[in-house]
Amino acid sequence: MDVIKCDCKFSASFRTSQVMSGGANRKKASRSQGWEEAGSEFYQESYPIDADIEVLQKDPKHLATLLPSKQNRTAAATIRHRTNDTRTNNRTVRRRTATHSRRDSTVQRRASAAGEVQVSMLPDLSEMRTNEQTSWEEIMQIKTLPLPMREKKEMKAKILNEPNLRLQGYEQFNWKRRKMWGVLESRLRESFNEMELWKGALKHIEGNFGTGVVAFFLFLKWLFLLNTVIFFFLFLFITLPTILLDYERLVNCPYNATCCAEGYFNETLSENNVFLDLIQGTGILERTILFYGFYSNKTLSYSLGLLQMYYNLPLAYLLIIILCFAISLVAIIRSAAKGFRERLIEGEGQFYQYCNLVFGGWDFCIDNEKAARIKHKALYSEIRANLETEKIKEEKQSRTTQEKCRIVFCRFIVNTVVLAILAGCACLIYLVFDFSTNKLAESTSRTQTKELFFEFLPSMTIVSLNIVVPFTFTFLISFEKYTPMTVIKLSLIRMVFLKLSSLIVFYMSLWRKITCNKVDESQCVACDEIPVCWETFVGQQIFKLLLTDFGTQIVITFVINFARSQLARHFDNKIIKFLGEQTFDLPKHALDIVYMQNLCWYGIFYMPMLSFMAAVIFLLMFYVKKFACLVNCKPSSVIYRASRSNSMFMLVLLVAYAFAIIPIAFFFAELTPSKSCGPFRDKGSVWGLIVDLFKRTPEWLQSVIFFLSTAGFAVPCIIVLLLFLYYYTAVNSANKHLVEVLKNQLVLEGHDKQFLLDRLSLFIKQDNQKRARAEQNGGRGDANT
Amino acid sequence: MGQGKSQFTDEELQDYQDLTYFTKKEVLHAHHKFKALAPEKVGHNKNAKLPMVKILQYPELSVNPFGERICMIFSSSQDGDCTFEDFLDMMSVFSETSPKSVKAEHAFRIFDFDGDDMLGVSDLMKVVNKLTGDKKLSESEMNMVIQNILEEADLDDDGSLSFAEFEHITDRSSDFLRSGMTMLISCGPYTRRFHNNIINDT
Repeated sequence: MDVIKCDCKFSASFRTSQVMSGGANRKKASRSQGWEEAGSEFYQESYPIDADIEVLQKDPKHLATLLPSKQNRTAAATIRHRTNDTRTNNRTVRRRTATHSRRDSTVQRRASAAGEVQVSMLPDLSEMRTNEQTSWEEIMQIKTLPLPMREKKEMKAKILNEPNLRLQGYEQFNWKRRKMWGVLESRLRESFNEMELWKGALKHIEGNFGTGVVAFFLFLKWLFLLNTVIFFFLFLFITLPTILLDYERLVNCPYNATCCAEGYFNETLSENNVFLDLIQGTGILERTILFYGFYSNKTLSYSLGLLQMYYNLPLAYLLIIILCFAISLVAIIRSAAKGFRERLIEGEGQFYQYCNLVFGGWDFCIDNEKAARIKHKALYSEIRANLETEKIKEEKQSRTTQEKCRIVFCRFIVNTVVLAILAGCACLIYLVFDFSTNKLAESTSRTQTKELFFEFLPSMTIVSLNIVVPFTFTFLISFEKYTPMTVIKLSLIRMVFLKLSSLIVFYMSLWRKITCNKVDESQCVACDEIPVCWETFVGQQIFKLLLTDFGTQIVITFVINFARSQLARHFDNKIIKFLGEQTFDLPKHALDIVYMQNLCWYGIFYMPMLSFMAAVIFLLMFYVKKFACLVNCKPSSVIYRASRSNSMFMLVLLVAYAFAIIPIAFFFAELTPSKSCGPFRDKGSVWGLIVDLFKRTPEWLQSVIFFLSTAGFAVPCIIVLLLFLYYYTAVNSANKHLVEVLKNQLVLEGHDKQFLLDRLSLFIKQDNQKRARAEQNGGRGDANT
Repeated sequence: MGQGKSQFTDEELQDYQDLTYFTKKEVLHAHHKFKALAPEKVGHNKNAKLPMVKILQYPELSVNPFGERICMIFSSSQDGDCTFEDFLDMMSVFSETSPKSVKAEHAFRIFDFDGDDMLGVSDLMKVVNKLTGDKKLSESEMNMVIQNILEEADLDDDGSLSFAEFEHITDRSSDFLRSGMTMLISCGPYTRRFHNNIINDT
């Protein structure tokens, strides 16, 4: 009945509308009594016209707040707040009349069309009574309501007090199981949260540097976990069987072509001091489970009572290595895809750039004054920078031809210089490696320190180039006049190429050292220059490079940068401040980590236990980088966004992965493993093992696999894939078009709404004036009579 | 944490667990933090009402430009003073596990300074001013920023953002969920140290 009452009041000013809406409601009322009650309840809740009608008459603009789209949302939130007491009463009434709708009304409280809500309000008599499950679900829904705790508690108590139907039989069991599962899940989550690695440290960093930098540390943690998993697999399936089952080692055999391996294992080791051996991976470390050379090419056997079990170590070695690469690839792709999807959802490129900045700009984790001040400053400069970029874009369009030419010329020169520097670096590394290996080979009467120097010379060259050249790049890029975002991206790409190209040169020079044109079957080693077990030799090189890199990181962080930051902190001098103050340069640090990971990937074939070393190094790197971040640096004024930086890390990591897997694949297919050591000592190439295995499979499988590799299969496959691609692009573009159309329609609707509201308020105003005039007239009339 | 436990009955904790996005342990931890703001008062009455000034001593809130606004929104007495239950509500909304829609709802109310259920130009200006802190944008810059925001998000072109439009933005922004509107209640050594300091000071 409330509806009609409301409508009548309203109709005082709207005679025309009264006929329509009032009439409709009356019809409904006569049709079903229960619905009418629930409906009136709803109307009262959604359109509190009683209270607002006076305000409306004073200020017609207020009409907009009465729109259904506004009312539905606020019904649950603000209005409930304002009229607290009546609301709770109403709720009890409603519960009695339309119990079923309770949950729906909370869920659909944001349903934009009033009609939808009306449908859900219809009391369905069959579902009038609740059971345990629905009431539990309702309780779980309460927490999404923006209400104070006291009211939430009341609601919960009310739901619990209502008579419940107990579920029967299977349903009961099912429901119990689900509830148990939920409890178990929350328990697990809780205990997992407590065990979470580095939680406190991450929180501390987040409080000072924001989420962008934390994304880097999460990335570091992710890599640590990845390497731990890889180590776990390698240890369990390769190293452990070798330790447990492979004991027969010393066989007396003359050193010749038939038993190269025995020769290798009986050869006397170089007599260095223990420390040098430890850091070079030679001497006592060389013939251990650390390196490829130690592993046997036999099928290991183990008898358990009567049962004889076999373990094909070479096959396991190959498969586990491939598995490790597969795991890494899947992990990267998964992580990158998540970021990519987010980027896609975020819209085309920079679509919501200002909204993101303003509504998501403040980092709620910041918990101290200093960081807050810096964040304020950073946001200020970011907003200004965005406006600046827009201006630059405008300027760009109005550039004269002469200016354009100058910039293009400038960029051309800089790019040439960059390429020249990259090529120069590559040459230098190559020459140094050549030089040091020659020196090592020729001189016999050398001191140990000199030898050590030459051993580490290539690694040191690579590392020092990686430190010096990026500075040159940052200096050069300032001439190119790019927008700030492009500058970051471009310098990152150049740095990636520097790091990875130096690695390629390193691999190439290694390759030159381990191959030889002579093919001499009668000898264990084709040429004299090649190490007896060249895989172990490569492993040692990687080991050294990784150690050097890690050592440099430690020295730079704890000695050089620490001293710089202390100087800057204690001396108030502009030059010292300029030299000493550092910000946490995210791309550079990410690159350090990615570079290490690349080495680890490349090295695990030659040195399975490198994965263990990698895990330990990443564990320590976390603390090194934490020190670099918290002690040495002050928060950067560049805002790094968590979402963007994560996808950037993954992209760079993917490139590094490709750079690691190409040489490995090349080795698998082309190079001959050394005859004296390792699981593949009797094969022509590693791939040969797979071929052998393939030949032993049943005939039909062979033909199937053979068919899969023919053009007859590949071509149709590619065509089908292309068709799919075409289909999805077509759907995509159609959807895009639809979005455009709908957006335009939305704007039109908005304009219509504005127009109608204006007309309505004008109408109300006129009506008011008319009435006022009529009253005046009436008063005059009264006075006259 | 042992002290905190004695202050709540099991039913109360169960209630809190059901009605927030926290587990029982996290509820106790939250109470621990609440207690650290005013140890004596809360020790006396576990659900004591603390004035806004005290609540704003919570480290994340103290530096948050919207700190006062947040207190106002969550205060059940509408004046910024919060009881423990209000505080718990607040932390629940800002926890990692609460869904985006709940966060968006509260964010909208935080940004809606004049309470007209629309983010108008004046609301947006206030938000931007709070964000930039001491440094203020010049008038033309501010106008450009507001204009850009409206251009991006005001779908129906009526000069202000409605909730639907606001939710549209937040749905598409991953930063909103990750850094905006998320404070962690964590038991890291750093925060513990911080609170010990507070306790020692008072």
